[in-house]
Amino acid sequence: MRTEQIRNFSIIAHIDHGKSTLADQILLKTGAITQREFRSQVLDDMDLERERGITIKARAVAISFNLDGNEYELNLIDTPGHVDFNYEVSRSLAACEGALLLVDSTQGVQAQTVANAYLAMEGDLTMIPVLNKIDMPASRVETVREEVSNTFGFTEDEILSASGKTGDGVDQILRAIIEKIPSPPGNPDGQLRALIFDSHVDEYRGVIIYFRIFDGTIRNNDRIKMLRSGRMYETLEIGQFRPTRKSCGELSAGQVGYLISNIKELKDVHIGDTITLAADPAQEPLPGYKEPKPMVYCGIFPTDNAEFENLRQALEKLSLNDSSFTYEPDSNEGLGFGFLCGFLGLLHMEIIGQRLEREQDVDIVQTAPSVKYEVVLQNRETITINSPDKVPDPSTIDFWREPIAKVSFIIPTESIGGVMKLCQDRRGTYIRTEYLSKDRTILVYEMPLAEVIIDVYDKLKSLTRGYGTMDFEIIGYREGDLVKLDVLVAGDKVDALSTIAPREFAMTRGRKLVAKLKKEISRHMFPVALQAAIGGKIVARETIPAMRKNVTAKCYGGDITRKRKLLEKQKEGKKRMKQFGQVEIPQKAFLAILSVDEE
Amino acid sequence: MTQRSDATGFVTDESDSVPSAPFFWARPRAAYIHIPFCAHKCGYCDFASVAGQDDAIDRFLSALDREMASQLTPGTVVDTIFVGGGTPTYVSAKQLDRYLDRLNHWFQVSPDVEFTVESNPNTLTAEKVAILANHGVNRVSLGAQSFRPHLLKQLERNHDPASVGRAIDLLRKRFDNISIDLIFGIPGQTQKEWEEDLETSLSLEPNHISAYGLTYEKGTPLWKQRKLGIVEPIDENIEATMYEHLMDRLNLNGWEQYEISNFARGRKKCRHNLYYWANAPYYGFGTGAAAFQNNRRTLNLRPLITYMERVESGESPICQSEVLESESRARETAILNLRRTEGISRVNFIETTGHRIDDLAGDPIRQFVEHGLLIDDGETICFSRAGFLLADGILARIV
Repeated sequence: MRTEQIRNFSIIAHIDHGKSTLADQILLKTGAITQREFRSQVLDDMDLERERGITIKARAVAISFNLDGNEYELNLIDTPGHVDFNYEVSRSLAACEGALLLVDSTQGVQAQTVANAYLAMEGDLTMIPVLNKIDMPASRVETVREEVSNTFGFTEDEILSASGKTGDGVDQILRAIIEKIPSPPGNPDGQLRALIFDSHVDEYRGVIIYFRIFDGTIRNNDRIKMLRSGRMYETLEIGQFRPTRKSCGELSAGQVGYLISNIKELKDVHIGDTITLAADPAQEPLPGYKEPKPMVYCGIFPTDNAEFENLRQALEKLSLNDSSFTYEPDSNEGLGFGFLCGFLGLLHMEIIGQRLEREQDVDIVQTAPSVKYEVVLQNRETITINSPDKVPDPSTIDFWREPIAKVSFIIPTESIGGVMKLCQDRRGTYIRTEYLSKDRTILVYEMPLAEVIIDVYDKLKSLTRGYGTMDFEIIGYREGDLVKLDVLVAGDKVDALSTIAPREFAMTRGRKLVAKLKKEISRHMFPVALQAAIGGKIVARETIPAMRKNVTAKCYGGDITRKRKLLEKQKEGKKRMKQFGQVEIPQKAFLAILSVDEE
Repeated sequence: MTQRSDATGFVTDESDSVPSAPFFWARPRAAYIHIPFCAHKCGYCDFASVAGQDDAIDRFLSALDREMASQLTPGTVVDTIFVGGGTPTYVSAKQLDRYLDRLNHWFQVSPDVEFTVESNPNTLTAEKVAILANHGVNRVSLGAQSFRPHLLKQLERNHDPASVGRAIDLLRKRFDNISIDLIFGIPGQTQKEWEEDLETSLSLEPNHISAYGLTYEKGTPLWKQRKLGIVEPIDENIEATMYEHLMDRLNLNGWEQYEISNFARGRKKCRHNLYYWANAPYYGFGTGAAAFQNNRRTLNLRPLITYMERVESGESPICQSEVLESESRARETAILNLRRTEGISRVNFIETTGHRIDDLAGDPIRQFVEHGLLIDDGETICFSRAGFLLADGILARIV
């Protein structure tokens, strides 16, 4: 196949703007699937993703298409729509020359529309703007066309319109793909250089690698070499997804496809690595990717401690297909043995949690999300802290650094005041305001990630009655005035209840936390003091009053056995609760710190 | 499984017997006899009691006699006899006379024996009082519960408050050891009403008062009403204050608290109940009666007809039997001993159980002492005033 006949493109869009449905229409129009095979969202093959309308793993589909008598091969590389998966978006885009920028004409430009468009611009991709859902009564084609034009600088007649549902406009899109998106560069006869942009594990065939060839040709039974890892393999099968896996034996420069070799584990494959031929290796690897770093951490514990081993196996299984998710064994006085897990973001965290419960059938307790802090010690050593119980003695700390996010909100202009206040309350620094149109505004703040992950998204939704969207990217670490907020129960420090908080809010949070704990811990036979402390200084105190009366009046000859059994049962019940000194703390109290800011 | 027919004529199973301290093997010194008949079953009552089966009384008394015959030789020496119910004085004078005769046959009754019969104020007549006294009964426990008509109604007690005074007047002529049962924490009861009930009781000059916080026993009509929200239990704080008042009031003027719910004046403690709290052996006869012999605690069937049929056909009426291993038995002894004001004597405890209390519960004891709920003088461990209020929580750590 000559490169002139090839077009590689992605569809980028905000969540729910109809990306998957449009992709299906493209497959249907080009005959890649039949009407019978047409089912919505072919590209999302995990139940959970289809349910949420989010494509988590990129998939590439090769489509044959004839335009004006010329045969073309279109490679549609799907991308995730959500902010947490920016990293995956950019690596999918690296395999393309163009992108359809899809905007829901009932909703207009949203935060992830902008974020994804910037990624495409950075990758030097040709963008084709498409307004979707024009069949909907709520469609505002003209207003949204103006918004897209103002935001991204397209002329109004460059902007196409379509309906993924009815298929209207798809022909024009296909024509624009051929006419506007450049064909891939590269020499089929050059030294092989193919970029690995994704991989997944197939139960029967092992690891399946997705690649895009920039130069050369790859065939079945080639001896290949991974330039970065230096590993060598033999290709057992070369093929393309059409949309199901089809072996084709050979692919050359510009083409996108998959390869199967004898690779058992995902960790043996580095996304971003360059494939070349062992016999005639290319010298220069293609520019790769940065490893995605988990930004949000939380503890995952089995509800029943006997399930620890099952949980470990379940996490291992999930991590096979999701290398951006990390886990390491952890233990917590309150919750027993579990794992400290790292995620790209909150949605990623939520999805993993749900998949654990649904696909792996493990009941779990998730702790409050935390970010990764850096603590610079007096001795100039820098340590990273991803869990409050690992904070060193405050006297050894010189200063703290915390991750900062640049957060872009796209909101109705009328709610700008409320959102600005929210940002200020969350230690945000104002950066700029841009007007998308007369009633929609982009507001940009820099904010500690720890504040973003608490509940900014939920608050935004309620402040804007659901119309606001947000997107954030981590821009680095900054010094922060942070403290460890300790909780003392009956005078003893309980590490599992401690949190890291900005000094300015620590006292308020401490007060709220002990007030909340007071509700969660039942009364004991003695008053139980709950204290919040910062560096040894008590900043808040509550007391759970002692039980007043707990005595069975009668115990005579006939009652002795029954009474003893009742008391034995109570004793057993107590054993199942976590005992801290003489205080029993129920598991849900450990989750109280999760929602301490919600009133 | 080894089975043998013992001297009592009942077939017993001894396969689960375990060696134990000699104390549990001692011959019982206390006897409990259960007479289940009542005029009416009160809503809070969960004892084995029956109403409207008066025509079965004579048959029951025969069965009771047969059950005693299976275990006792005439003139068995005991220290205490306690006839409970039901309402033991509800039966006719003739029937009362009949079963008291039989008790005098099976046990050696003397003035040294504490011989208690429970009674209801409105079942006592001069005739019955004479029968009781003539059979060596020397202690009567009278179920007054309250002196407020609306609270008696809440408890489904059908007597008139004034009948308590009348009953005491009748009893006073023949008895110098009278106990009154009271209940506090009745739904709708105020602190003032409780204090007045207590004063009314004291004015009747009993020698002993048992005062119980109302308990919602599982399965009783009162328990169901509470579950359905028809009855609302009184506030825990009020109930606690009532109990505190009781303890404070009955530790004055010759009165002394000697157990969680029991108070005596002039050293008239109920010796029978002291055997229970010492975890000492006792005989038990009648429907639903518990017995503790040879380290085995047994429980008789509750249903009247089944009980009678079993005994009449020479079978044991026992439906539950339990032998505890040494440490569990010792823990049980500890929780019973602690109910008493005198608490646990370290020396006594090791003698009767073979275990050191500090080995069994050293940590909780130290902790509760620290919190002021237990008092430990080195020789004995007992509840403090605050400890009595939270007894169940403390006992649950020791059991």
